[in-house]
Parts: sequence; C-alpha cells; structure tokens
Amino acid sequence: MKAVLQIQDLSISFGNNHVLKSLTFDVMPKEVLGVIGPNGAGKTVMLNILTGTLQPTKGKIFFQGENITHKSITERCRMGVGRTFQVPRPFEKMTVFENVIVAGVYGGGLVEKEAQKRARGIIDKIGLSPKINWFAGKLGLLDRKRLEIGRALAINPKILLLDEVAGGLTESEVVEILGVVQAVKKQGVSVVWIEHVLKTMREGTDRVLCLAEGRNIVCGLPEEVMSSKEVLDTYLGVDER
Amino acid sequence: MPEYAIIQSILNGILLGGLYAIVGIGMSMVFGIMGLTNLAHGDMIILSTFLCIFFVTQLIPNIFLALIITILIMMALGFLIQNFLVNRVLDKGGEPALLVTFGVSIFIQNVLLMIFGADAQVVHTQLAAINIITTKFFSVSALYLFNFIVALLVIGVLHCIVYYTYFGRSIRATSDNVVAAELMGVSTKRIYSYTMCLAMVSAAIAGLLIGMTFISYPSTGTQYLIIAFGVVVIGGMGSLIGTLLGGIILGLAQLLGAYFFGAGYQALTGYIVLLIILTVRPQGLLGTAIRK
Amino acid sequence: MGSINWRLTLKISSLAVLLAIFCAVPLWNKEYITMVFMLIFLYMSLGHMWNLLAGYAGLVSLGQQIFIGIGGYSLAVITELYQLPWAVGLAIGGLLAVIFAMVISQPIFKMRGVYFTIGTWIVAEALGVFFSNWSYVRYARGFNITVSYRMSTTEVYYLALAVGVASMALVYVLLRSKLGLALMAMRDNESAAETMGIELYKTKLKCFLIAAFVTGITGGVLYLYIAFISPSAAFGIDWTVAMVFMVIIGGIGTIEGPIIGAVFFVLIKQFLYDYPGISLIILGVLAIVIILVAPKGIVGTLNDRYGWELLSPRRRG
Repeated sequence: MKAVLQIQDLSISFGNNHVLKSLTFDVMPKEVLGVIGPNGAGKTVMLNILTGTLQPTKGKIFFQGENITHKSITERCRMGVGRTFQVPRPFEKMTVFENVIVAGVYGGGLVEKEAQKRARGIIDKIGLSPKINWFAGKLGLLDRKRLEIGRALAINPKILLLDEVAGGLTESEVVEILGVVQAVKKQGVSVVWIEHVLKTMREGTDRVLCLAEGRNIVCGLPEEVMSSKEVLDTYLGVDER
Repeated sequence: MPEYAIIQSILNGILLGGLYAIVGIGMSMVFGIMGLTNLAHGDMIILSTFLCIFFVTQLIPNIFLALIITILIMMALGFLIQNFLVNRVLDKGGEPALLVTFGVSIFIQNVLLMIFGADAQVVHTQLAAINIITTKFFSVSALYLFNFIVALLVIGVLHCIVYYTYFGRSIRATSDNVVAAELMGVSTKRIYSYTMCLAMVSAAIAGLLIGMTFISYPSTGTQYLIIAFGVVVIGGMGSLIGTLLGGIILGLAQLLGAYFFGAGYQALTGYIVLLIILTVRPQGLLGTAIRK
Repeated sequence: MGSINWRLTLKISSLAVLLAIFCAVPLWNKEYITMVFMLIFLYMSLGHMWNLLAGYAGLVSLGQQIFIGIGGYSLAVITELYQLPWAVGLAIGGLLAVIFAMVISQPIFKMRGVYFTIGTWIVAEALGVFFSNWSYVRYARGFNITVSYRMSTTEVYYLALAVGVASMALVYVLLRSKLGLALMAMRDNESAAETMGIELYKTKLKCFLIAAFVTGITGGVLYLYIAFISPSAAFGIDWTVAMVFMVIIGGIGTIEGPIIGAVFFVLIKQFLYDYPGISLIILGVLAIVIILVAPKGIVGTLNDRYGWELLSPRRRG
C-alpha cells in the first residue's frame, strides 16, 4: 500500500535553535498515527510545516506521491490536507452551519448548495445538530473542538491533522472526541494526531510515533511504543495526566 | 552660484535630518516598546508648537521657560492619554489602539483649529536670520545647526536613560518580553505610560524647533506624522542611531528633490522615497523590525 | 416555512415603502432636507466601502480619499476641459479609480497591518502634492465645476440615492455570495480562513478594487454637489476621517453600521454646520468612547443584546 503522506528528512531551525532534525516517517491510508512527545519536542512546528504555515529549512513532503513542500496553505487545503488548531479558532460571529459551509465552499470546492448539504451531514456526525444555528463564539470548549474537526472534514480531506484535540477536555469529553475520530477514520481518512495526553493515544491510534528534541525516537504499535524504554526515559518525571 | 547650490542642499538636508530625528524619536520609542503606532504623534508635536507660541506671546517672553511648561503639560497629557485611553485597548489587537490614536489626532487638530484659527503660526527667533558660517560655496544657518545639535543631545540623553537607568532597564525588559517582565514585577502598563511621557518630552522639544524653523498650521500635524513614521521605518524601530540616519535620509530626499525638481516637489520626493522603502523593505532599512 | 415567508414579504414590502419615501423626498420641496438626505446617502456609500475594507477584509486604509480625489478630478477635468457630460465624468472617475487601485495594489499590498494603513495615507498625501504641482489640473487653484451650477439639488439627490442604494445592495449581495463567506471568515479569523482554503490576497484585492470603484463614483457625485475642487481638499484626510468615524460609531463589520453611522455623522455635521471644528471634536470623542466601551458600535451592541439584525447575510441550517 502506498503512503498518503511521506515526510523525508524534514528539518527546521530558528537561528541556532534546531527544532526538527531530519524527521522521516510515512502515514498510510486509513490509519490513525499518533504523535507524542514532551513539550518543546517540535510537534506543533511539525504540523505547521505540514500545512504550509512554516517552510522547512531542509527536507521534502510528499502528499499522494506529489511534492507539496513549496505549495501554499490554501493549495494544500484544496488538495485535501485538513487541520485543526490546538486552541480552536472558530469564526465567532458566524453560525456553526456557516463555519462548516465556508470550509466546504473554499476548501472543498463545492457550490454553496452542495456545501450546505455536506455541512448538515458533518454537523450531524460531530454531534452539533442541536446547535447548528448558534454563533460559534457562544460554544464551549468541547463544541469548539468538535467544530474544528467538522470544518476540517468539510474540505473533504484525504488526511486530517489534529493538534491536541483532546487537550483541556474532561475524561468523558475525551471519550466523545475519540468517537468522532473513529468515525472519521471509518470514512477512509488518514489521521495524524498530535497529543500530550498519552492515554487517548493508547486507545485511539493505530500507530504511535514519539518525538523528542526534534527527532523520531521510536515508532510502532501504541502498546509497544508506550512501554518502550525510549518513551519511558523521555517521559520520566513528566507527569502523565 | 547655482552650481554650488547642491552642496547647500545636501548640507541643509543633513541638518534638517536632525530635526526629523527628534520628530520621529518619540514615535519610534512608542512603536518599539509597546508596538503602538501613535497616529496622534504629529498633532502632539504641533500642539507643543502652539503651546510654546501661546506661552511666549501671552505669558512669559522667555522661550526656555515656555518650553519647560510645554514639556510638563505634554507629559501630563501623554500620561493621561496612555493611561486612560490607549492602555485600555492595547491588548485587544492592533486596530482599536490605532483608531483611538486616530481619534485623538483629529481631536487635537480641531481643538487647535477652534482656539487658534486656521492662520499660520511661528515662533520668532533671532537664530533664523543668522548664518554661522558663510563661504563662497555654502552657508550654515544658525537655526539648522542648532536643531541638529539639539537632536544629538536629545538622542544622547535618551540613550543614557534607556541603557543606564533602572527605568530604562524596565523599558527594555518590557519590550523584549511582556510576560517575563510582568513576572519580574514590572508593571508593563505603567511602563507604557511613562514611555509615552518620555515620548512627549521629545515631541515638545520637536514642537518648539518646528515652530522656530517652519510655519505651522493646525493641520500640519499630518505632515510630521508621516515624517515621524518614515524615520521609524527607515531607521528601524527603537533604534536611536537608526532614527538619526532615518531623519537624515528623509531630509536629504526632500531637499535634493527640491533641488532637482523645484521647491514644490520637496514633500513629494520625501513621500516617494518613503513609499519605495516601504515596498522594497517593509521591515525597514536597518535591522529586522518585527511588529509585535 | 410559513412564518419565514411572511417575514420575507414584510421585509421586502417595508424596504419598498422606504425606497418610495426616499424617492419622494424632493417632492417635499424643502431644499435643505433634500440636501441632508443626499449627503446621508453619499456618506453611507463611503462608509460601506470603508467597512468592506476595514471591517471584513482586514485592510485598515487611511487613504480612501485617493479615490474621492480621482473621482472628483475626473468629473472636473472631463466637464471643464473637455466639455463632456457629467455622466462621462463619473464613469471615467470610477474607471480611473479602479485602474489606480490596481497599479498601487502591487506595492501597497506588500505592506502589512499598520504599514498598509500609513502607506495608503502617504499615497494620498503624495497625490495631493502632485496635483498641486500639475499644470494640467491647474495646480493648487483647482476647478469650478460649472456643470453642477446647471443641476438642481433634486437631480443630484436622485444620483446620490442611486449611489447609496446601489452601494447598499452591492454590499448585501456581496456578503450573501461566495465572496461574502470568505469575507466574514476573514473578519473573524484570518489564519483559520486561510487554512480553510481562502486565498487572502485575492479576496483582499477584490475588495480593494470594488471599494476604489464605488468610492470614485461617490466622490464624483459629491463634487457635483460641492462644485469646486482643489487638491488639498480632494485628497485630504477629512474624507477618511468621516468614513472611520461613521463605521466605528455605527458598528464595524456589520451591514447596518455604516447606515446608522452616516445618519449620525451627517446630522451632527449639519447641526453644527457653523462650527465645523466642534462637530469633528464631538465625533472624535464619541468614536474614542465607543472603541473603549462598546467596540462593536451601535449596531453590533444592539445585535449582541437583542439579536437585532435588519439585513441578515445569514445562512440558516
């Protein structure tokens, strides 16, 4: 099976601060790849490079076999790279419905009528139907995170990049988000899921990659990675919430 | 001796640059330390000009006393504006603060218009008529030289304040990292207010010099705002030496423009040079100024 | 569904009644009233365009007087130097405004945030100086626009009404369109909008050109009324001051804001006509107070409190 996303030798430095050091990994179709690592390991920087917000100092990114390293944020979005933000960034003065329509029209390339239809389906799937006409600014954290995923889905992504969607949520809320991610996976979308909370990673992913100081230190099945010496060393003394 | 006129233009341009540096230095500090573009800076300078004129003609014929009173008034005004208006919107993103200063600018302009009328005003001084050096090739106006020396002094004093005093250290800490400064017990809002006071001292001095050198109207503030902004952009924000250089580049651009195209184009060449610099190097000529 | 249709009918019929009233204003035969309404429509058009830029596209321009000046001068030059009808002058004014906007967009869009704000202002100031030194437009002496001596206030009023209604309709249609979705998204969060596939540069450029065109035409109509043009007034910051104050007082980033703002602005200005400085002082203070205590303006605040929306660009699910 051919990888959806191939990251080759990716490096980035800010001055003398080398945040990523020749990072290499693949994301396969229909898999949920968890990315863990302590604060400052370079997780969010990596995500920003994948979406085009940052340009790498070195290395290449292939998406479905095509080199997208120098493509713009919007081009990548239209090709099918969806993302969520760690701190949700809803369009606050627009309704939930409109938030998802925007993504469908611009990222998904749909005419508005079809985007509305897709938006209704997605909002149903993420469980926001009762609040479809709410202003996004009035939503609580869990609903904002749902909306983040909903908007990303509306662009009809081949791959979804999740930035700490479970962070800041209560235990039961995390379970709900896990359900949403599983539903996304069933649709055939690959997921790269960055998370600080290790527990969700154990349950929600197919493979886990551990990042430390900008390097891929270990990658494999969740159980193996979590109990590996490397991860335990990295997280030693780090509180597992 | 028209063939030597260019020497005179260059010389005047450099000396004028000193004046422009004082016009810009307050804006540069405010921009560098709190990331605020004070659209009222030009009008605050003209307000100082008018205050000086008022005190000299109505109260005390001593220009230094007039300047000191003006400085005190401007400091108070700067503190009030910063403390009660700008500080309250500073954390809501750039636009509200920008528009507040825009409102202040229009307010000052129209208050001046109401009180003093639309007539031209000038601070009379003997310096304007004296040439310190007169040669076959050029002459040095006492007033322009005075402006330049005052500019060097002001920049020097500000440099000492910023680098050698506790207050200066707090300012630098704040402009480097707001959160860290707050953790160290520096009240950033308070620092901002004091910074504005300091900027107003420079605005008051600039106002007096402008009043002695040029004719002023209530509406000329815009012109000096653009000059100040130009100095900030060319010199890089918060850089004191850059400010002087920025002033000189603008002064030269204007006077050489006037030399080559005629006096009517003096302001225009200044604007065009500034627009080109903004386009080619939006972050300024010197340094890598990043907006907060 | 029934109630929605009923509401829609009510809305459309009340708009029709309103339009009929506006058309009938000159029949009242009070020239002063006609003139006040005329100014409201023209300023509303200016406000709508500035709101489109600053409220939606994130382009806080202080140089919109560029396009007023171009519109006004086109009218003056076409009618005075070439003796052509005023309609030609207005059309060429709009056209030249767009062309000029296109030319400066390249460099000016390289400037971001406050650099753009002041950059546009510098362009306007530079144009003012340039026109003062340009023999073709009679230097700083300017033009008497004699064609407007032959026009009645009523005629200019209907032009202003057309401009006002057209600008309103344009903004409404724009916000209901695909572009409107992008604009509202950008207003709320630019970086998220970009991640959703919205091309910021293109969208901003479209707004800049549209605003230039409408502001240019409005400037032409304004000068049909003013009947005298000179560089310092035509390219003066006062035009943009009016736009900024109207939009802030009315409510930035709302459709209705510029309407309310224009009514406020023109009424205060006319009421204090003999003391031009005072009206700007009052409006300046009002604008500052509004930014401090109710940053969403009159409309935005009402909107938050009572869910009041006159002309909603909303899509319902």
